[in-house]
Amino acid sequence: MRFNRYLIAGLAALCLGSPAAHAAESSPQATVEKLHSALLETMRDGKSLGYKGRASKLEPVLRDAFDFAGIARLVTGRYWAKLDKAKQQAFIAVFTQLSIATYADNFSSFGNERFETRGVEDKKNAQLVKTAIVKPDGKEDTLDYALGKSADGWRIINVVADGVSDLSLKRAEYTAVIGSNGIDTLIAKLNAKVASYEAANK
Amino acid sequence: MLNKRNSTFVFALTLSLLGAGCASTPKTAETSDANDPYERFNRKAYGFNDTLDRNFFEPVARGYAKVTPEPVRAGVTKFFDNVNYINVIANDLLQGKGGQFASDTGRFVVNSTVGVGGLFDPATKIGLVSHDEDLGQTFGTWGMGEGAYLVVPVIGPNSFRDLPNLASSMALNPLTWVNSIVTIPIGVLSAVNTRANLLEATSIRDQAALDPYTFVREAYRQQREYKIYDGNPPGEGYENYDEEKSDAAVLKIY
Repeated sequence: MRFNRYLIAGLAALCLGSPAAHAAESSPQATVEKLHSALLETMRDGKSLGYKGRASKLEPVLRDAFDFAGIARLVTGRYWAKLDKAKQQAFIAVFTQLSIATYADNFSSFGNERFETRGVEDKKNAQLVKTAIVKPDGKEDTLDYALGKSADGWRIINVVADGVSDLSLKRAEYTAVIGSNGIDTLIAKLNAKVASYEAANK
Repeated sequence: MLNKRNSTFVFALTLSLLGAGCASTPKTAETSDANDPYERFNRKAYGFNDTLDRNFFEPVARGYAKVTPEPVRAGVTKFFDNVNYINVIANDLLQGKGGQFASDTGRFVVNSTVGVGGLFDPATKIGLVSHDEDLGQTFGTWGMGEGAYLVVPVIGPNSFRDLPNLASSMALNPLTWVNSIVTIPIGVLSAVNTRANLLEATSIRDQAALDPYTFVREAYRQQREYKIYDGNPPGEGYENYDEEKSDAAVLKIY
């Protein structure tokens, strides 16, 4: 009896602790579709959740779906290796907060949009999942997600919206700011952006 | 108002500018940093345009968007898209897209007639969908590099490769050749309507951009690339960002 109880507890701990329970999904498409269904839910309940509610609902989903540490490395380009560990961590943290704030602000209401997955392509070091967000009147915006395989599954490293790569855009801006004013200014500016999203949603 | 001699002059000017652009823009791996040799001038022009926009064009466009019902604005947009369509058709031809040339010619004829001078778009309903081509894209498909980035005062983001299209699209727009009593108010309407259609895009910029100049430059470049490849840019992939390598910056992403 006793042995069984330990066994069950042990198995439960194993399940909870195993990467599979928490990690991103096992295929690039599954990671993207899981994100999309969470976004749809958030949009549907957007009004009643409010900005704070949307942010706290999306935070675990986004942390699961995106490889924020990898993205942070890519958007800071050649400056990354020159930052000490503490600055790298501080940047990853504020960048993650800004991403959550941006999603909570943008996916705030529902107008019968739907997400469509259109296909998956092979890229160097990445898989590209091509999707679109389609409005009821047929107008659409394409969203292509690039995913890389990390230790705990497929995670998003870039979103290309109507041909504009978020990663390239941010890297151009961030490296420009670091280059002229330094990493502390960049971190301060990102913090200010997070604060302005909160203020705009009060 | 452009008369024939003026337009020849504009064309010659843009060609010479284009030549300068080709000669002065070596391709480097880190294009986003290296390919803006006129950044000092560009930032000034950007600042000038931004001031003009915030104090004049944007408020006017907001007012226009407020008083004009959505269907009317859609009609106005379709009308201007249609008069600009000869430029699209010409570039279909220059890019050797035969099927698209035929379909776009049909589209222009249908919308100009059945569509009441382009105010409506019956062509899309019968399968003649719209395409987006211009001279800059044509040069791109011919293999020409983008050339230096250029912010044109009043007009906005551009590049040496895209500059000649300003002249060609004007020359191929029938309204250019109508009496200026008609052309000027219509040109103003076109500008205001275009600006009104961009209100959402500029509010995204204002919200998201840390450095609006860089933000607009990168977005412009990427959208041009995307259009040149008709929505399927080749995309070179991603650096192996897991490893502690410091050369991630030299990579072109997507």
